[in-house]
Amino acid sequence: MKLKHVYKTFYPDSPKEVKALTDINLTFEKGEFTTLSGESGSGKTTLLNIIGGLDSATSGQIFLDEEEISAYSEEKMAKLRLHDIGFIFQAYNLIHVLSVRENIGFIMKLLKFDEEKIEKRILELASILQIEEILDKLPSEISGGQQQRVAVARAVASRPKLILADEPTANLDSKNSERLMNMLRTLNEKEQVTVIFASHDKYVLQQSKRIIILADGVVIEDK
Amino acid sequence: MYRHLAWLSIWRRKTRSMLVIMMIALSLSGLLGLQGLYDGMVSHLINTTIRSDSGEISLYAKEYRLNKSLDYRLSPLSTVENTLSKHQEISAYTMRLKQEGIVATARKSLGASLTGISLEKEQHFGQLDAFVTEGDYSFGKGNKGALIGSALAKKLNVTLHSRVIFTAQDATGEINAISFRISGMLKTGNPSIDDNAVFVSMEKMSAFLNLQESATQIAVRVKDTQNIEKIQNELQALWPDTDVLRWDELYPILIQMQELMDIFSLAFYAIVFVVATLGIFGVMLVSVLERMREFGIMLAIGTPYKMVRNQILLEAFFLGFIGYVGGAFLGGVLLFYMSTAGVDLRAFEAGLEMYGYSAMMYANMHLYYFFQAFFAVFFATLLSVIWPLRKLKKMKPIQTIQGKML
Repeated sequence: MKLKHVYKTFYPDSPKEVKALTDINLTFEKGEFTTLSGESGSGKTTLLNIIGGLDSATSGQIFLDEEEISAYSEEKMAKLRLHDIGFIFQAYNLIHVLSVRENIGFIMKLLKFDEEKIEKRILELASILQIEEILDKLPSEISGGQQQRVAVARAVASRPKLILADEPTANLDSKNSERLMNMLRTLNEKEQVTVIFASHDKYVLQQSKRIIILADGVVIEDK
Repeated sequence: MYRHLAWLSIWRRKTRSMLVIMMIALSLSGLLGLQGLYDGMVSHLINTTIRSDSGEISLYAKEYRLNKSLDYRLSPLSTVENTLSKHQEISAYTMRLKQEGIVATARKSLGASLTGISLEKEQHFGQLDAFVTEGDYSFGKGNKGALIGSALAKKLNVTLHSRVIFTAQDATGEINAISFRISGMLKTGNPSIDDNAVFVSMEKMSAFLNLQESATQIAVRVKDTQNIEKIQNELQALWPDTDVLRWDELYPILIQMQELMDIFSLAFYAIVFVVATLGIFGVMLVSVLERMREFGIMLAIGTPYKMVRNQILLEAFFLGFIGYVGGAFLGGVLLFYMSTAGVDLRAFEAGLEMYGYSAMMYANMHLYYFFQAFFAVFFATLLSVIWPLRKLKKMKPIQTIQGKML
């Protein structure tokens, strides 16, 4: 994935104007395990949202496999997100009317996976993330940490090519953070899934192969 | 899949769904009830006028309505009676002999009209007996009694069995007087009767006026109101020297009132319709808006917009439809009750009677009310989802998740 001269300005041409990203030029290779880091308000979540097509850049281009996805229609972008990108949101963002089982299986159902295959994958992920006991509960009936694990399970369930995780460990204790990172690392190493985090968690940074540091919407370090 | 999601969303949020359905049902039943009652007020007024006086068609001698003299009367009656009784499309008729005069008690006298009627014929014609509020529907022993309009009785300060004397000019020009005891009081809702009329037996009236086989009015009820004009034309052709008039020609004020009421009714109905529609719209809109974040999440993880749209529409129309069914049922029960038992507005009796309305109001009940109500719910439901759907389509998923709707 390539980002060329990406800018993002909120409330342009108004007194409230905020330059969230300025001239971002980055390339992510397949199988990367990268963290976008920086202080709060540095633009890491905005950049992650733009990479995932949840938000659009004010200007600049984004390419995926040489194809410019920044010019995609919302419909085409939704298709891309469905097939190739898994999201882990900081606020979990589970669907509240669906049970844990239905949340994990939701994307696989949209992709018309075989029912048997869906159930097998749900049980597999539930075992890794230790959420077997809560599969039939609604999100409102489980803790924040459990919701985060369900969100992770939903994001990886369909084995997307790219996982975007916004502060995935923010609501997890150290043990669960470690378990989550191990699982994502395994996916990254075994299945060549590209993982990009937005985080300032030291543990996540330690685990990352590449760290991009942002400050006031500008890349100040890429190591 | 959207069907499953819509169903889960409705089922797993029972309280919210029930509240939406109840709000729609209550707004709708109120709308139906008010519409029926408003319609009923006008048609009740027309109906009592037809029953108590004009029929659908009335026959008068030429000139009678301009110059209420007994010189202009219908006579002989046997030919007319013979024709009317054999007419296939006429359900009832009655003959009245009326003379203006003065009704007096020992203490008070007032201008009034004395009308000779056949109780049996009036009962068949317009159920005049149903208007009796005090006493009996009878002229007592030897036909010496009279039925009097309730408002007139009040003005004269007379009660049942009080004696009244009626003075009027007979057919020969002589001033005659006759006394009656009040045997019953009538309240028709027709001010020309309630404020002004005294009814006595036809025989007594004929003798009092020195007339044989005469009437000043013959009122006719038709079987099918669609045929009024046709029957009017037929009767007019049969008796060209007679005024054959429809109820709306006799009481143009009723038509004007009806038209005026239609305008008020339309304005009132429009307000109620808009309020009810806005109520439904508001409830539906809030129920969609409070879930925009959820729809944003669905879009963010790749759910096609069409699926989210279909889910929202299906949920809204399902809730709207159940609300409509509930509202139509409640409204139907309400209308049925108000059309049979009536609504007692005696607290406002004086004001209502001033305009000829009865203190007991009966609602109308028509099928088209329910079609209109269906349209109101459909319209409100559609309106409530259009804006959120447009927003959802235009906005980026992250904006929807962050709640940047407005």
